[in-house]
Amino acid sequence: MSSRDFLFELGAEELPPKALKGLADSLLASVKKGLADAGLSYSNARHYAAPRRLAVLVEGLATEQADRVVSVDGPPVKAAFGADGQPTPAALGFAKKNGVDIAELDRSGEKLRFRKEVKGQTTVALLPGIFETALKELPIAKRMRWGSSRIEFVRPVKWLVMLFDDEVVPAEILGLTSGRLSYGHRFHHPAAVTISTPAAYAETLRGAHVIADFAERQHSVQTQVQALAAKEGGVALMPEALLEEVTALVEYPVPLVCSFEERFLAVPQEALISTMQDNQKYFCLVDAQGKLIARFITVANIDSPSPEKIVAGNEKVVRPRLTDAEFFFKQDKKVTLESRNERLKTVVFQAELGSVYEKAERVAALAALIAEKIGGNVEWARRAGILSKADLASEMVGEFPELQGIAGFHYATHDGEAVEVAEALNEQYQPRFAGDQLPGNKTGQAVALADKLDSLTGIFGIGQPPTGSRDPFALRRAAIGLLRIAIERNLPLDLPELIAFAAQQQGGKLSNKTVEADVFEFLLGRYRAMYEEQGIAPDVIQAVQVCRPRVAADFDQRVKAVAHFRALPEAASLAAANKRVSNILAKEPVESLGGDINAALLSESAEQQLAAALQTISADVEPLFAAGDYTAALTQLARLREPVDVFFESVMVNVDKEEVRRNRLNLLWQLRQLFLRVADVSQLQA
Amino acid sequence: MSTVQQQPDVSTFQGLILALQNYWAAQGCVVIQPYDMEMGAGTFHTATFLRAIGPETWNAAYVQPSRRPADGRYGENPNRLQHYYQFQVVLKPNPPNIQELYLDSLRLLGLDPTVHDIRFVEDNWESPTLGAWGLGWEIWLNGMEVTQFTYFQQVGGVECYPVTGEITYGLERLAMYIQGVNSVYDLTWTNGPFGKVTYGDVFHQNEVEMSTYNFEHANVPELFKLFDFYEAESVRLMKEKLPLPAYEFVLKASHTFNLLDARRAISVTARQGYILRVRTLARNIAQSYFDARARLGFPLAPAALREEVLAKWKENAE
Repeated sequence: MSSRDFLFELGAEELPPKALKGLADSLLASVKKGLADAGLSYSNARHYAAPRRLAVLVEGLATEQADRVVSVDGPPVKAAFGADGQPTPAALGFAKKNGVDIAELDRSGEKLRFRKEVKGQTTVALLPGIFETALKELPIAKRMRWGSSRIEFVRPVKWLVMLFDDEVVPAEILGLTSGRLSYGHRFHHPAAVTISTPAAYAETLRGAHVIADFAERQHSVQTQVQALAAKEGGVALMPEALLEEVTALVEYPVPLVCSFEERFLAVPQEALISTMQDNQKYFCLVDAQGKLIARFITVANIDSPSPEKIVAGNEKVVRPRLTDAEFFFKQDKKVTLESRNERLKTVVFQAELGSVYEKAERVAALAALIAEKIGGNVEWARRAGILSKADLASEMVGEFPELQGIAGFHYATHDGEAVEVAEALNEQYQPRFAGDQLPGNKTGQAVALADKLDSLTGIFGIGQPPTGSRDPFALRRAAIGLLRIAIERNLPLDLPELIAFAAQQQGGKLSNKTVEADVFEFLLGRYRAMYEEQGIAPDVIQAVQVCRPRVAADFDQRVKAVAHFRALPEAASLAAANKRVSNILAKEPVESLGGDINAALLSESAEQQLAAALQTISADVEPLFAAGDYTAALTQLARLREPVDVFFESVMVNVDKEEVRRNRLNLLWQLRQLFLRVADVSQLQA
Repeated sequence: MSTVQQQPDVSTFQGLILALQNYWAAQGCVVIQPYDMEMGAGTFHTATFLRAIGPETWNAAYVQPSRRPADGRYGENPNRLQHYYQFQVVLKPNPPNIQELYLDSLRLLGLDPTVHDIRFVEDNWESPTLGAWGLGWEIWLNGMEVTQFTYFQQVGGVECYPVTGEITYGLERLAMYIQGVNSVYDLTWTNGPFGKVTYGDVFHQNEVEMSTYNFEHANVPELFKLFDFYEAESVRLMKEKLPLPAYEFVLKASHTFNLLDARRAISVTARQGYILRVRTLARNIAQSYFDARARLGFPLAPAALREEVLAKWKENAE
C-alpha cells in the first residue's frame, strides 16, 4: 500500500505557556488513536509546539484504509423461519434494518448473518474528522470565544496547514480553511511562509526564525543558559517547570545575562530567587557553594540589534521587586519572631479548630513528647513548636507565601534562637513534595511530625477527611511525609499512642468519636501508595498491612523482609500452606484455638516432624524477632517448607477423633502464629 | 507665535496620552472622557462594563483615573500609587487583527518589537466584584508588564457575545520606561514654553494627603453606613428600571468597600460577604441593562446579530 507524509499545523495567538507541552502531547496521542481506530498505518508520528502553533507530522501514512468485510449477526436461524419456511417478523426486521432482501442473508451458521464488503476510505477524506475530534478532546481548562464567532479554543486560532505530501488536504476546522501558508516569527518574519511538503516543515520555519520543535528549543535554552552562566562563574538554577515554561514563551530563544545590585544579596536568597523565578521567569545563578550571585538570565524572543536595551529593561523591572523583598526583610527584623504570635491569635486555622496560635501550642506539646521518645532535646522541640507558625504573620511571607518556614529560619537565627530550633522552623514543612529531603535534626523531625499529626487528627476529627480527588488540606501528602520521616529516620514511635495524644489535645473540639481509629487506618492505607512507588508488589504490602504494625519503622522492616522472602524458592509453597491453614482455622470458633500441643497425641511421623521443626525453629527465630530482624526470621521460617508440605500430603486434620483433630489444629495454629509475627504470607500471590 | 504640534511628543506623560488617543481615534474608536466618579480600574467605566454587554458594536478609547486606596504609600514608594491612570481601549466585536493594532500603537511610541522584547504572557482576568472574567495576556516589554489584554467572556454574569477585546495600558509604567526614570514622580508631564512640570509636581502632595486619609482618617462607622445606603439605593433604582443610575451606586459602594479595606476594617471572613454583595448588584444591573437595550432593539448592532440575539431574548422572556 502506498504511503505519504502528512502535516497538520494550527496557528493561534499566544498559547498558555504552562499548558503548551501538555496540549501538544495530548493532541498527538489523540491523533495516533484516531489513526489507529481508522485502521490507518504510519511509520512515525511526532508533534511540534511553539507559542503560536501546534503541529503534528505523520510520516509514512497509508493513503487509504484497506477494504474490509463487515458482518452483523441477527436472530438464530431456527427462530428466523416458521414451520412453513416463511421468514418470521424477527428475520424480516433484521433484513430491513440492514437494507437487504431476506434472500441475501447468510443462513449457513447458527445465526442469521449479514455480510457486506466495505470499501476503504481515502486518508484525505478521514483526516479532517480525526483532527476535529482530537482538538475537541484537548484538556483545556477554560475555552474561550472571540469576535462574533461561536467557535471555542484555548486562544483565537489564525491559520491551518494540512498537507499530504505536496497536496493540501481540504478541510474546515475551527472556522479555518486549510492551506499551505504558515507564518514565521511574530516579529522577525511576519510574512506568510509556504510549506512545500511536510518533511520541509521544521526547516522552513527555522528559516523564518522559529524553532518549532519543543524539545530542541528546550535543549537550546538549557545549553545556552548554562554556557552563559559558566562564563559568569556560576551555575543556573533551572527547575524543570520553569525551563518548560520559558521554552513555551519563545519561538526563538536568545538568553541574555543581566545583573542586580550586590546589596540585595543580604536578603535571604530564597526570597530573591522566588520573585525572579515566579514573577519574571528568570534563571538565577549560584556559585559552587549554592550561594546566589548578583546575576540572572532572561530568555528573549528576539535577536535584537541592541540587546543592551533588553538587559537594561529587565534590570529595571527586577529592582523594585528586590527592593520590596529587602524592605520586608528589614521591616520584619525590627520585632522578634515570637512577638508575631500575638497576631496569630486572631488568625483562624480552621473554624472548628481554633486559631493558628492554638495550633502552634498543640504542635509544641506534641513535638516535646515526640522529642522525648526519639532522644531529642525536649525544650528545643517545645520552643520550635511554639515559634513554628510565627513567620506566617511576617511581611515577607505575606508577600511570598512560598517562603513560609524559610523566613522563620532566618528570623529565628537573627533573634539568636538555638541553631536546631531555627532549622526546625524550615524543616517542619519537609518533605514538601514527593522525593523532597527530610528533616535532618531531631528537633526538626519532632516538629514536622507534630505538625502533620495535629492536622490529620484535627481535620479527621471534624469530619473532613479526604474524599476521592478532594484533599483540600493535603492530608495524603502529610501522611506520607509523616511515614517517611518515621521510617527513614528509624524513629521508635508508637503511632496510635501519638494520635491519641494529638486528639486529646484538641479538647472537646472533635465531633468525630472514632477519630483515633480513623487516622491510624488512614495511615495504614498510605503505605500502599508509598511502597508501590518504590516498586514493592501490592501483595507484599497487603501481607504486612493485615498485621497492623503500630510503629512505621517496624512496618518497613516487615515489608523488606516479606519482599525478600517472596523471592525465596520456598515462598510459593509456604504461602499456599498458610492460606490453607488460614482457611482451615477460619472454620473453627476463635476461642477454641490456641491450645498447647499434646506430644502424646501426635501419632503420625509427619505431624511429629512438623511439631519438632516448629519447636526448633521457634527457638531460633525468637531472638531475631526481638532484634526486629524480620528478614533473617523469615529466612529461618522458610525451613518449615518441607515438614509443612509433608504434613499436608500425609496427615488428615479433620478426623473423627476430636482430641486428635483438636491437637492438629493447635499445631497449625502455632505454625500460623509464628508467621504472623512478621506478616500474613497467605496474602502473597503465586 | 502660536503653533500646533502635529505629532505628540511621547517623551512626556501627556504626549504619551495624546499619541495613544490620536492613534485609537484614527482606528475609528469613540474617544470618550473619563468617568467622573471614583473607580478601581478603567473596566468599571460604563464604556466598558455596560457596553461589553449585548450584541451592539462598540469601539472606544479613554483615559481613566483609577483609585486603589490600599496601594497608597504616602508618596514614598517610587512605583506605588493610590491614584493613577489607565488608558483603556475596548473593541467589540474584537477585530481579528487586534494584536497587530496594539503592536502598531507600541511602534508609534517608538518601541520597535525587533529591538525590544515584547511578549504576550498568559494572564487570565477575573473580577469577583463585577462577576466578570476573560482570557488573555499581560504584555511584557523587556520583562515589564505594560498592558493587560483581555477577551471578555462574561460580564456581570452575562455571556459576552460578541466578544469585547479590552486593552489596558499602564500609563505610568509605560512612561517610566520611555523616559528612562526610576521614580514615577520624576516623570516629565510636559516640557513646553511654560517650563517643565513633573508627575511629582502634579500629584505628589495628593498621594501624601490621600494616603493619610485612606489609611488614617477615612471615617469607618460612617463608611459602613454609606455602603449599606448605596446598596439600598442601587436596589431601589433597579426596581425603577434605571440601570444606569443604579450602576453609579454600585461604583460608590465598590469604592466605599475599597476604603474600608484600606483601613483594614473588614475581616478576612467578612470580606467575601461584601464582595458578594457588590457582585449581586453588578449582576442585576448587567441583566437589566441588557434588557433595556433589547427593548430599544439593540440599535447599534449589525442586523444579523441583532436578529439572532433578539430572537433568543424573546424566547427566554416567554
